[in-house]
Amino acid sequence: MMYDSSINASNEEALRLNRKALSQKKALKVGQYILAIGVTLFMIFPLYWMLITSVKSQEEVLLSIPTFWPQEWHFENYTNVFKRANFSKYYFNTIIMTAGILLSQVVTGVLAGYGFSKGKFKGKNLLFIVVLGALMIPLQVTFIPLYIMFANWKLTDTFLGLILPEVVSPYYIFMMRQAFLSVDDSYVEAAKIDGMGRLGIITRVLVPMCKSTLITITLVTFTNGWNSYFWPKIIAKNETRRVLTVGLVHLRNTFAGLDTMNNHEIMAGAVMAVLPVILLFFIFQKYMLTGYEKTAMK
Amino acid sequence: MKPLLSRKNTTQFKDFATVLPALFFLGLFVYYPVVQVVRISFTNWNLINDNYKYVGLKNWIWLFEGSGTKYLLNSLKVTALYTMGELLVTIVGGMLFALIFNRISKSFSFMRALVFLPKYVAMSSAAVVFIWILNTDNGILNYFISKLGGEKINWLGDKNRALLSILMLTGWRTIGYGMMIYIASMRGISKNYYEAASIDGANSWTQFTKITLPILSPTTLFLFVTTFISAMKVFQSVDVLTSGGPYRSTEVIVYMIYKYAMVDFRMDRASTVAVLFFIILLVITAATMKVSNRSVNYDV
Amino acid sequence: MKKSLMLIASLLLVCSMLFAGGAAETKATTVTAPAVSYEVTEPITIEWWHALEQQYWPLVEEIVGDFNKSNDLITVEAKYVGNYATVNETLVAAHAAGTGLPALSVANTPYVAEYGKGGLCEDLNPYIKATNYDIDDFGEGMIVASSYEGKQVTLPFLISTQVMYYNKTMADAEGITIPAKITDMEAFLEKATKKAADGSTSRWATIVPGWDQWYFETFFLNSGVKIINKDGMTTDLGDKASVDLTSLFQSWVKKGYTYWASGTSASSTMRQNFIDQKSFSVIHTSSLYNTYKNLVKDFEVGMAWLPGGATKKSEIGGSVLLIPAKNDQATKNAAWVFLQYLCGKDVNMKWADGTGYMPTRNSVLTTQEGKDFLTRKPAFKAVFDNLDEINPRIQHAGWNQLATIWKSYLDQIMIEGSDVETQLSFMAEEINEVLADSE
Repeated sequence: MMYDSSINASNEEALRLNRKALSQKKALKVGQYILAIGVTLFMIFPLYWMLITSVKSQEEVLLSIPTFWPQEWHFENYTNVFKRANFSKYYFNTIIMTAGILLSQVVTGVLAGYGFSKGKFKGKNLLFIVVLGALMIPLQVTFIPLYIMFANWKLTDTFLGLILPEVVSPYYIFMMRQAFLSVDDSYVEAAKIDGMGRLGIITRVLVPMCKSTLITITLVTFTNGWNSYFWPKIIAKNETRRVLTVGLVHLRNTFAGLDTMNNHEIMAGAVMAVLPVILLFFIFQKYMLTGYEKTAMK
Repeated sequence: MKPLLSRKNTTQFKDFATVLPALFFLGLFVYYPVVQVVRISFTNWNLINDNYKYVGLKNWIWLFEGSGTKYLLNSLKVTALYTMGELLVTIVGGMLFALIFNRISKSFSFMRALVFLPKYVAMSSAAVVFIWILNTDNGILNYFISKLGGEKINWLGDKNRALLSILMLTGWRTIGYGMMIYIASMRGISKNYYEAASIDGANSWTQFTKITLPILSPTTLFLFVTTFISAMKVFQSVDVLTSGGPYRSTEVIVYMIYKYAMVDFRMDRASTVAVLFFIILLVITAATMKVSNRSVNYDV
Repeated sequence: MKKSLMLIASLLLVCSMLFAGGAAETKATTVTAPAVSYEVTEPITIEWWHALEQQYWPLVEEIVGDFNKSNDLITVEAKYVGNYATVNETLVAAHAAGTGLPALSVANTPYVAEYGKGGLCEDLNPYIKATNYDIDDFGEGMIVASSYEGKQVTLPFLISTQVMYYNKTMADAEGITIPAKITDMEAFLEKATKKAADGSTSRWATIVPGWDQWYFETFFLNSGVKIINKDGMTTDLGDKASVDLTSLFQSWVKKGYTYWASGTSASSTMRQNFIDQKSFSVIHTSSLYNTYKNLVKDFEVGMAWLPGGATKKSEIGGSVLLIPAKNDQATKNAAWVFLQYLCGKDVNMKWADGTGYMPTRNSVLTTQEGKDFLTRKPAFKAVFDNLDEINPRIQHAGWNQLATIWKSYLDQIMIEGSDVETQLSFMAEEINEVLADSE
């Protein structure tokens, strides 16, 4: 058999090129991984630094050449924080506030989500626009009258005061509506024939079918509530109902005149304030990572 | 006898009842305060006094033609600068990160989660950590800079640097968010596009500009709009890091409102700025909606 | 469509009708019953808000603990609220809400008029009368400083004044004396400043706190600036005397003699510079005397009266105590008992010894006790020599806003080097506006 040498050569050339491309691709891939690792380290560094500082001694924190691993472990920084600021109270307040917000947003959100998706009543679309319109009115615009209103109702420094403005989330309603809309009407009709009432349909048919959306949105609500700052700072100035986020900043300001000296304890406070959410993040990673994607995909 | 409510009306009412709680609270805590804030902007309400009276346009004149004007302009400028910064970080930075982390093997995917994690770290915790990192004398950042032969930088006390410092903090928290959104959309792009393109001899850059970017344009727009609106409302990082200083160089508009209301107790002036801020938000939202309806192709 | 529109409209209407009370044009004021008993008859726990930072907490605990031990009926809980500005924010907010008020609170001295006008504080005169409390033992200036339009709305608690701390070791070695007159400042500053080879300052002559106008206020008052004119509606801060003095300060900053401390952590920066001997002197409050003394290890700390002009006055700083008017009578009565204890001579001397706050009582200041105090704290001679020169603060309901504006303009002038005359005339305009608003 005769070989066309030119074809052969070009074949080999192509193979060589291909190999070259492959090794180039490989190098590119390695580069990508190195870059990725670098970026990850860079992004995680502030959290690492927070954690490491929180277990150092004051002397070590103030060393002119910082140490990247504590020479001695000072876990008493954490207990000291509890002595300096009422962190157990802040925790309690934050938990109650977050639970209150969560519960009421789930209830109002799921109910309204049902009404706006499967419900039939006059003016449904218009009222839904009213709900969405609320998204365009941030608390930063309305906090002045809200504050005055709550002050008149004697709701400053109370749980109700902390929770009430967050009782309804238009975003929650919107997401639940979208989720319920994706459920075929026939399920609802079938349930109706079985004699289920509205609440039954919602809790036993719709919610189980849209579980993942519900969990995702609820987690978003939880972190938003736990991390909220603007309104708690305004409505709960007093220690009795101060929440973690505000309490932490307050802890820092307690050392105002000495602000480089006590960073080990401030960092310990910061760790305690973020720990629950970070734990939750790792437990519910699957949902938390998709939480924001869902909104993007609408 | 005719029943009070027909069966159809009862169902209608019951369905309506499910949305009633939400509507009630939104009316009470969102819509009603809007009316109030407009009203207060026409009074001379100082919180420390028990009464107030209507003063017509006085506060509006103060804001537009009085001593308030230059502070307003300053705040608008700072807010605009900040917003551009956050947009840049979230969109460009997020896109870059997405390219790095997109096709990473499964065993390394935890790194994506770590990059996204800062989004969930409470802003107040993140802010006190950054105050510590950015500390002029003992901060780790200045340590690295001096190691590299640079001068120590007064990050939070220098008016030309303070806004940048705030952007570092917020950027750290949002860049992972931008990345996640982009990665989610990139997964939706069919491989066929790229295969076809590489057969045509398109290099990676051409593939990126000719395929990836156009397909991602709705995502970019989504990020643009949401980031824009949230960046306009920035408050917490400013409050903890700089309190609007030095010399008002980080006094964003929400901080300006907050300061008049909760530090000076000038509810009148604060409300006036708040109303203006609301109008600006509405205009911007309307504009972006119009643009998004027109220019982005969702068919891809 | 129409129906639902009507629905929204009526919903809004119902809402606004239901809650219109929340924004009534004139809020009802609480009226106390005419015959009042000022006695504490039942056990009660009350809250006391203070602004004393960490370093003072052991002393606070000791003083409150002593009170709780000695009093069967009243239990006091001391609460650190934050700095004076935070106390102000929290207190006014609680007053507006009429809830969450402490039984007793401290307030920085310049807030007295604002609170008095707004009706935030209880008039203490009836209490003083009913319990025969002797207020004549307080210095007269302090009584004036703590009252509003003849009503004793507060009582002096921790009193301090502006002073200059200097490095005495350095002064002795280099033969530097603290000038008595503003006109001699230039020579002093030049002598006390050290410059590096490249012309930058390696040692400041002095540091001026720009974060609180109280520290530079006296320079203006002693140069004949009234700050608020007699009419109570205008300022003379834009006039010549003020412009001249401001320009003088600006030139010192420009020449690298003086560091203008403002912004985040300005206070600790200033303190650190002094401790590290990077500044010959600092202007600060006398209350921090012990703090400076404890922090400084390598040299002796001196304390001097601020240079004067036509006069050499200073102003009362620190805090007063007040009882919020919106509390119930039982709480007020308990607060009054505790207030008397806090302002009492024994407690006051504990503060004076343990910190840098001043004795407030004539029976200390002018007697052997005062001399004993001076042997314990010789540096306070500078203050004791000038007791008659310590004046009440300027009292005006718009003072707080004025101060904010003034500070931010001076920041700009000192640090940005902006033109003094134009900036001050802008500033005067702005201040006149808030003064008029506060009338």
